[in-house]
Amino acid sequence: MGRVANLVLVRIAVAIAILSFAIGSLFAWSLAAERNASESLAIIVNVSNTLDSVSQDELRRIFLGERSHWANGRRITLVMMEPGRPERKALLHDVCQMNETDYSHRILHGLFTGELFVSPKTLASPMGVRKFVFNVPGAIGYVRAVDVDETVKVLRVDGRLPEAKDYPLHIEQRTMK
Amino acid sequence: MEFRFKSFVSPRYLWSKSQSRRLCLVSVLYFGILGNHSLILAQAPSSSVVSPDQKTIQVLLERIEKLEARVAQLEASENPPAPAAPGPAPAEQPVSTPASETPMSERMDVSETLLRIRGFGDVNFHGDTQKGSPSSFTLGQLNLFVTSDISEKFKFLGEIVFEGGPDNIFGITRGSRNSFGVDIERFLLQYSHNDYFNLSVGRYHTAIGYYNTAYHHSTWFQTTEGRPFLFEFEDRGGILPIHNVGVSASGLVPSGPLGLHYVAEVGNGRSSRSPLDEEQVQNIVDENNHKAFNLALFARPKAISGLQAGFSVYHDLLTPLGSPNVTETILAAHAVFTRPRFEWLNEALVIRHAPAGISHVFQTPGFYTQVSRRFGAYRPYFRYEYVNASNHEPIFPDIGLRQGPSVGVRYDASESVAVKFQYDYTGLRRQPAINSLGLQVGFTF
Repeated sequence: MGRVANLVLVRIAVAIAILSFAIGSLFAWSLAAERNASESLAIIVNVSNTLDSVSQDELRRIFLGERSHWANGRRITLVMMEPGRPERKALLHDVCQMNETDYSHRILHGLFTGELFVSPKTLASPMGVRKFVFNVPGAIGYVRAVDVDETVKVLRVDGRLPEAKDYPLHIEQRTMK
Repeated sequence: MEFRFKSFVSPRYLWSKSQSRRLCLVSVLYFGILGNHSLILAQAPSSSVVSPDQKTIQVLLERIEKLEARVAQLEASENPPAPAAPGPAPAEQPVSTPASETPMSERMDVSETLLRIRGFGDVNFHGDTQKGSPSSFTLGQLNLFVTSDISEKFKFLGEIVFEGGPDNIFGITRGSRNSFGVDIERFLLQYSHNDYFNLSVGRYHTAIGYYNTAYHHSTWFQTTEGRPFLFEFEDRGGILPIHNVGVSASGLVPSGPLGLHYVAEVGNGRSSRSPLDEEQVQNIVDENNHKAFNLALFARPKAISGLQAGFSVYHDLLTPLGSPNVTETILAAHAVFTRPRFEWLNEALVIRHAPAGISHVFQTPGFYTQVSRRFGAYRPYFRYEYVNASNHEPIFPDIGLRQGPSVGVRYDASESVAVKFQYDYTGLRRQPAINSLGLQVGFTF
């Protein structure tokens, strides 16, 4: 009888454990999926930059090289992440509204005509982008909102910060690796 | 049931009741924690998830950063300040304030080259119905596009072009058919003050119309095999002063959503064919004291992305030997719509030549329209062009009437290689029309 009780107890314990594991994993998966489905893309500038907010249209002009200077006369230095990075894909899709090939062609053409004064700086990691933006007063770049720290300044886009509900720039799941 | 229990609780693993209960509790706790651990992982921001290994990595990274900063400090104390052009991001300094607002150093760094070179080239096969014009494989232009970020405000831009075949200046050829020559097609020092004022000195493409400043010496950028006849280069029989040597200012005009831009140029202008086979671009010496000027104004409205419309006025005084001076005025207007998938280019101009002492003004009108649409890697295109010069035109009497369509398709074999196949029909005044076929491979490297 005691053995039977033990057996039942063990089985109940195993069932609870499996159930607990399954429920925990399910929650974890759903939360991770929710977070990955739409992460905010933060536009960052040097902390000395007096600009606080930028419209999507202005952002597009900046990243396409149609604007080359900030209001204070300092040259804009574009910082792009390497091709293939989800942050870059999100920027090209949401801001520039073009694909990688068209963007490369556009930048090359701008350099060729002389309209684009300097080619964008391409960096591999969010840390590299932050460091570059920290060190170059005229730089503008982008990272995931979770990768932002106090060394850089986050610009409002259309008046909204990345944590706002209706913030317009997101790294959608389609752009996730 | 009894049997299975017995097999499970074999003599080797006979437990007491208390041991069994402990096992149950441990199992529940273990699996529960395992399940909920992933939940916690998901809820926590990724940056805050720190496993013991990540802690070690974090500590090591911090040490690397400190060492990098120390190395940077030592290098700074040994060497002059860093180059002006933004290079790789220097290590983050252990300071609480960001880089200062003072402009970057204008001092030259002799330890590194600032040159960037990109190449463009094309190889062609061409055949037409003209007498005495055999079908041929032809090496096109080999273009070395050179730029250098000299400092935050200054930049060098140049195009060094290796080109085969004789020069053709208004129908008069010069040079061997199969030899190569080198031309410095663009040679510019650019100063960028702000969005409203940029200055360039050197040899540039004159801002007449749209095509001449949108496309330079690379067929790879162009949709079609070649330039419209109106914008053909001077040494390929073209009728416009495509190149000029002088000063060019450009920038935005504060105009809100209209997106107005201006270009103002002053240069030597072109030589007035004395003798005919001379270099058209006055690179070294101007043949007179009069300087050519060009003013252009165009709009890129914010409301319609890809649209550009504008006009330009070019004025020069030509002083051919043994002939009266000729006042040259070129009025041009354009409206283009270019997006990655679709383009529609429209340009019209009139070249006015007014010889001194004659009341008659020779007017040469011309236009072209070009439309193309991309379908995947293919981009079919169509162009119609027209130019009509008088047979008594004092500067280019050999041009006459040229008009006709071109149709073709561009295939982008890769991001850097384009293959184009084109048919042209060119109608001429009092001469048989010319039918031609061309195949071109254009590339960048």
